[in-house]
Amino acid sequence: MLNIQNLERRWLKYKIKFYAPYILGLIALLTLLIAVTYSKKSDTDEAKESIASPSKSTHEASSTVLEPSMDFVRSFQTTLPMNETPKAPLQKNAQPVREPLPVAKLVSTPPPDLSDEKSFSLNRTESKLDIETLERRFKETSNANLGLFIARYHYDHGNYSEAYNFALKTNSISNKIEESWIIFAKSLVKLGRAEQAKKTLQFYITDSNSEAARSLLDTIERGTFK
Amino acid sequence: MEHSLFSKPRDLFLDVVNPKDYVQIDSIAHIYQSLKSSVQKPLKMILLFGRPGTGKSMLLHKLHHDLSKHQKVFMFDIPIVDEDDFLRVLAERIFAYSPRETMTLTRFLEIAEAVSYTDVPIVLLDEAQLYSSSLMEKIRLISDARVIKFVITLHKTDKEEIIAKEHFQTRIWESIELHNATAEELKIYIQKKLLKANCFDVANMFNDKNIKLVASLTKGNFRETNKLLFSLFSLYCWYEENNPALIQYNALKSKWIEMAAIHTGLIHA
Repeated sequence: MLNIQNLERRWLKYKIKFYAPYILGLIALLTLLIAVTYSKKSDTDEAKESIASPSKSTHEASSTVLEPSMDFVRSFQTTLPMNETPKAPLQKNAQPVREPLPVAKLVSTPPPDLSDEKSFSLNRTESKLDIETLERRFKETSNANLGLFIARYHYDHGNYSEAYNFALKTNSISNKIEESWIIFAKSLVKLGRAEQAKKTLQFYITDSNSEAARSLLDTIERGTFK
Repeated sequence: MEHSLFSKPRDLFLDVVNPKDYVQIDSIAHIYQSLKSSVQKPLKMILLFGRPGTGKSMLLHKLHHDLSKHQKVFMFDIPIVDEDDFLRVLAERIFAYSPRETMTLTRFLEIAEAVSYTDVPIVLLDEAQLYSSSLMEKIRLISDARVIKFVITLHKTDKEEIIAKEHFQTRIWESIELHNATAEELKIYIQKKLLKANCFDVANMFNDKNIKLVASLTKGNFRETNKLLFSLFSLYCWYEENNPALIQYNALKSKWIEMAAIHTGLIHA
């Protein structure tokens, strides 16, 4: 004879037994998922923190590195104001002003080819990364040749104020680099300070008797400088 | 209870071997036809083997039922394990000879030769795994003498397969293997059985989900299916009498199938 109550009780027990592994498995899986998610989250936070702190320090470092340079620029500007070209070093080796050289003799880097917009922007990005490294290195080493390179780079890329700054810095490290003075003067012209460029060139020519500087001065004075 | 919708289906699934309850399923029908044709061949022995509950006994009874109308067929559904008794009963039933002396194999063969039927009588032995090895050897010798054709059923287990190999493999015989029913076959079996008894309402209550559950619980074993369904319809009878509101007439309750399985021991809870 069937004992329905007993059967129902046994059935309930059986169902609990039957589903218990699945429920336990599900709980274990959920726990695992939560643990994984939590660990990932904490990893991400740590990564973010680690990313954030070096960037901060880099920023700080870069600002620290920049500061002296800016101070230097300022100090340079105070000692050598834009309207007055440096006299002391130039007066020492002052020479009579020579005839300006023909414009054709001016050494100028050809402008980058803008026909391929994509490749240009790509190169620019890569160069930007490189130039940042170089600027950092320049701040660390104060190498005049490196400063010249950076000034030239900025001038070629149309960053005339940057070109002006780096040329100025380079000149302060070594005042014997002709090209640096040329870039300095050309940047001034590009920044709309043609008069200051002329005065600078005149002083430099007096001091160094540079043919290139004379040619440039001539070009500026004739208004053919581009 | 007598007028219960479920009492008739319940009684249908009482686990008794009755050839009249034989349900034609494609795979079994095919096996049955092959068995019938094998019996007509000049074979000494036919072996019918398979796992318990695959329908061997039912097939043997069906064969007995069908062949007995035309020829001498003797059914031994309860094994006679004593060798002397076995030969004595065999001689008595087949040759209508009741020996007073001890029946030896030689004596039995002498009697068989003396009687000499035109059609070789067929002896159907169910549960042959219960016979001793020496008796099986005697059965083999009798069949070798072509005085009796034996159709025997064996449970397919490792041990029994060894018996089959040792005694029969080198003989001229045919072996037919029966397999457990698939869910689809089980569905046909259940529904045919119910429809044969005009239990249409109950037959319609079996959906595919119910059949799958029954098949998974019984593993396609016909005997277990019969037991399970007997218990299930007993449960339905109880609920019909005590709590009819719980019965859904569009499908069988999985819970009650499982309860029936617990009752029959298919589920250990």
